[in-house]
Amino acid sequence: MKISKLTKNFERFSLFVDEMELVPGKIYGIIGPNGCGKTTAMKLIAGLIKPDSGQIDRCGLTERDITMAFRKPYLIRDTVVRNLTYPLTIRGIQPDERQIKESLSLAGLWDYRDSFAPGLSSGEQQKLSLLRAMIFSPKLMLIDEAFSNLDMESAGLFERMILERQQTNPATYLICAHQLSHIQRLCAYIFFMHKGKIEARGQAEDILYAPQNPHLKNYLKYASLREEAPGWNS
Amino acid sequence: MMFEILDAEVLGIITLTLRMTLFSTAISSLIGIPLGLWLDSARFAGKKLVVIINRTLMASPPVVVGLVVYLLLMRNGPFGFMGLLFTFEAMVIAQVLLLTPIICGIVHTASARSAEGIRLFARTMGANKTQTQLLLIKELGNDIFFAVVTGFGRAMSEVGAIMIVGGNIRHQTRTMTTTISLLRGMGEIHQAIFLGAVLMLIAFSVQMTADFFRKRERASDENF
Repeated sequence: MKISKLTKNFERFSLFVDEMELVPGKIYGIIGPNGCGKTTAMKLIAGLIKPDSGQIDRCGLTERDITMAFRKPYLIRDTVVRNLTYPLTIRGIQPDERQIKESLSLAGLWDYRDSFAPGLSSGEQQKLSLLRAMIFSPKLMLIDEAFSNLDMESAGLFERMILERQQTNPATYLICAHQLSHIQRLCAYIFFMHKGKIEARGQAEDILYAPQNPHLKNYLKYASLREEAPGWNS
Repeated sequence: MMFEILDAEVLGIITLTLRMTLFSTAISSLIGIPLGLWLDSARFAGKKLVVIINRTLMASPPVVVGLVVYLLLMRNGPFGFMGLLFTFEAMVIAQVLLLTPIICGIVHTASARSAEGIRLFARTMGANKTQTQLLLIKELGNDIFFAVVTGFGRAMSEVGAIMIVGGNIRHQTRTMTTTISLLRGMGEIHQAIFLGAVLMLIAFSVQMTADFFRKRERASDENF
């Protein structure tokens, strides 16, 4: 996917992405302070909003190949299982019961499979929305702070799931998170945004451990990163 | 006492009232629900004005609506040739004019509150337009149901408009509300109270059914 000279203007905010390239099968991170335009950039990439100008070359990907998971997930007013299988249902795919059981069990949701999904706790809802986004194996998955409600164990589980899938069925991921440990463990390449622009980009270790941009340096000042090598995916 | 009151004529009145209410609610729902959904998603100049006009119509006095329909259907009126005045159809037309803005308004308000999130979600899942519309109707089901129930209640309890266009003709256009009004005028208080109680019982049953369905889908606000 290639993006060039993309602009989107709102009343009090303007986004400008001069250039961005996402290579298939790689995991990218997008970081930056609140209100810097990360979500807008992701929505533009997902095709959920239209740019005012610029180009997005999705290289043959259609809307059905792309999905986006949000910090506040939307759950259908139905059971946990029907939420999970919704993307399959609309594609006319018969859900694989073994896969459903395995996915829900992994996330600790199997016992709630027939429960009313919007009645789950916020963390459980988040897990369900991530499972649902992954179940139809999208080619591009945008994760917008969707790990934020998860406990460390659950977040680790989804990190592992993403990395394991990359071995068997690689997809492109663009992950936005304020907890940089997720970015550090998952992403090979990182974009840093500030006030609607990408101000820094590069390999995860360069961005996280040797920042040059002053805004990035300031952003990372309070980050507590583990010493292990970043970019497990690289 | 009850068997005396519940004679064939009263049963006919109850049946006619239910028929009129069901017909007018069904027609109003068929118009009002898609209109309410469309009003939320459509982008056009003057949309705000249309919404305000609809809200005004939601509170329109039944006697005024009745008068308008009367003027349209009277022998010298534009639709006088159809011969509908003082018929069951005339009462349904008046009811539809009263109910449609109410159903449309409730659906539009609910849609404006939640539809954007639902559409966004549907797109992230790869749903096409038809699948998105179906999901929208399913997700707004509670609100749509509430709109229909409200319309049903309004149709059931309405008296002003149907009195004008129906004429309260015995065995033809006499409904429960117009009968109660007539009985009160004649001093037949017992029968009026009985019909009032039946009316309340039907309204209560409808609300109980609505509540049953609403409870089933109540989301938890708790974070366990």
